[in-house]
Amino acid sequence: MMFRAFASLPLASWILILCTVPSLAASATSQVPDALKEGLVRFALATGELSPVERLSEQLKGESAEFLRAQVLMGTGRTAEGVEALKHVAEGQYHRAEAALLLGRYWAAQGSIPETRQWFEHAIRIGFGETRQEAGYRLAELELRSGRSEKAGQVLAKMEAGFWAANGYLNLSSEYARSDLNPTRALVALRVAMAMAERDSDADRKDHLLNRLRVRAGYLALQNGEPDKAIGFLEKVSLESDNTPQALYLHGLALAEKGNHRASMQSWHRAKKFPLAFSGVADAWIAMGRGFDLSGYLGQAGEAYLAANAAFESERVTLRKLATGIREQGAYKSLVEDAQASDLEWFLADSRTLTQPRMAYLLDFLAQPEAQRAVRRVAELRALGQSLAQQQRDLGIFSQSLTDQLVLLDARDDGEATELRERQMTLVRDLEKLSAKSLDAGQADVLRSVSATLAASADSLQELKGRVSARPSTIRKQLDQTRTLSNQTERLSAQTLSLAQRAEKHLDQLALDYVSEQDNEMANAIDKTAQQIAHLYEYLALENLAEAAQ
Amino acid sequence: MFGTKSIIPGRIHPPLGLLLGFYFSLLLLPSAALGSDIDQAIDQLRAQVSEHSAQVFALEQQLLHPADSRLSVFLTLGSPDALGLDSVELFVDGKPVVSHLYSEREQSALEEGGVQQLFTGNLSNGSHSLKAVVTARSANDRFVRRESSYRFQKRPGSLRLQMTLDAKAPDFEPRVSFLEWK
Repeated sequence: MMFRAFASLPLASWILILCTVPSLAASATSQVPDALKEGLVRFALATGELSPVERLSEQLKGESAEFLRAQVLMGTGRTAEGVEALKHVAEGQYHRAEAALLLGRYWAAQGSIPETRQWFEHAIRIGFGETRQEAGYRLAELELRSGRSEKAGQVLAKMEAGFWAANGYLNLSSEYARSDLNPTRALVALRVAMAMAERDSDADRKDHLLNRLRVRAGYLALQNGEPDKAIGFLEKVSLESDNTPQALYLHGLALAEKGNHRASMQSWHRAKKFPLAFSGVADAWIAMGRGFDLSGYLGQAGEAYLAANAAFESERVTLRKLATGIREQGAYKSLVEDAQASDLEWFLADSRTLTQPRMAYLLDFLAQPEAQRAVRRVAELRALGQSLAQQQRDLGIFSQSLTDQLVLLDARDDGEATELRERQMTLVRDLEKLSAKSLDAGQADVLRSVSATLAASADSLQELKGRVSARPSTIRKQLDQTRTLSNQTERLSAQTLSLAQRAEKHLDQLALDYVSEQDNEMANAIDKTAQQIAHLYEYLALENLAEAAQ
Repeated sequence: MFGTKSIIPGRIHPPLGLLLGFYFSLLLLPSAALGSDIDQAIDQLRAQVSEHSAQVFALEQQLLHPADSRLSVFLTLGSPDALGLDSVELFVDGKPVVSHLYSEREQSALEEGGVQQLFTGNLSNGSHSLKAVVTARSANDRFVRRESSYRFQKRPGSLRLQMTLDAKAPDFEPRVSFLEWK
């Protein structure tokens, strides 16, 4: 938009724009007061718009300068330089722990365990607050993945209560649940995690984590043969979270364990309202039949199994449509963009995350780290492509405007400037006349301001001739720069497009694998219901035979 | 006290198991390798685009906002915890020039000492007025909309204005102050 305004500037405005510029970068950054430079870089780092501050970061001074510069380098893809700069910061005086944490994260992403461990340990040793807690969590996670759960426990024991420690204990509990025959140790770790999560100051984050922890605790308690304890955990899970369907299914199981089939079917019935993509929903459909069966309502059990079967078949159709959509339009459009767009009225759309199958599959798919990375890659490359396309359009307008200006400057005479000089002199004379009169304080103030403005325009007019004569060569330089940048943009756009295609292909493959896996799960669920129906009919047939024999 | 799960004896002959394992690892490899390969290429491209965008930005600043007539307005928060900024509208000589709605990310960036370059434009020399309309949520949970005006004299050369948003206890009344950088 601004560029279009630039193209349509009248000639008079161009007189204002006459200036000579020795270097592009220097001119852009020298306009920012020194005291504000650091803040501008901080804002850019937080919002991810780093291009305008890339040069600015090189001029920073003060305690945080080197750390901010290193982050800008990492954020702009100059990772090798960024890593070196971060190492320097980590060995220096300021922001040591934050730099060590960033280095640990970087090496973890690269898959280098010794370096990751070294930097996280360094961050824990010298850091405090959130930085230290995050480093502790990540180190514990690294130890768990290396099969050293004892060591992970030791790291977590030194952490303070809060979000990071709670997540650490949650992971430790999962590890214990995998390795132990008895779920007691996993339940103890979950209890600690819940106590730690209660101390998190971010309310939304705390609620989300607590819901996850309660569902896991409920599952483990149920596995341990403690349905009352499980019900206690599960009844605390919020009814508006993505863990709700699983909690409802487990709640029904716990009630059934206690022989309360009627109440258990109420929980399962509620779980059935959620899309089948969520964990526990398909199980709840099958469990309904089982509930009727155990309660002695065999006819209704048969109907429930048939209904489950129909729901699973219909879900397979949805999944096939999703797979076709992914093949035809790509996973990014089918899953991410279409899930964002909604034709629903706002008053119907508020709980769509929990009711739309596409959104439910997206949430489940994006729970996988590799899927998150793949979607991020595509989103990043698309944004890059869009910004390059915008740049290309703007540079085209620049180029056209500069060419027009050259033509206008060649054609124009000094007439307009002479007129302006004459008008200036008339105004100065008028001002002198007015100043000679007796004035009150307010009037004198106004005249002083008018006098300052006139003096400024006098200076501009005086310098105008010299600047106008220097202008064509400046414009030609700018035109050259514009054309060079335009060629570069074209080259980079082509590179971005090719890379985006590769990234999208990778994402499509991941999404198709995921959809196929979901389809297999639905096929298994259909097998289960078909088996139940067969058993039921077999039983009914035998009963009929027995009755006939009597 | 806690037993660990016993290892189930292998149903597959070890060499065959190894071969199968190798086969499956080959199947798994391309996906992860392809991902990290693309990541490296993205990093390289990002570095080039970033360098290029900085040059385009500099050229844009030169051509659109020449130093002689430039006005830049920067926004800072004076008391970060006292205000949750929702939006800022800026009017120069009564004409709207900026209307910005703050995302959560931008709000926290400002709260952590970030500075936003809210407006860059061109002005003729002389007397001008700047009006800022701020909507925010104050620390005592009040939603407020406040207007502030500032008159200034534009002289040849770049004019840089810092606009600071403040709210002090107990009333947390938002105040906007302006500072001209020489």
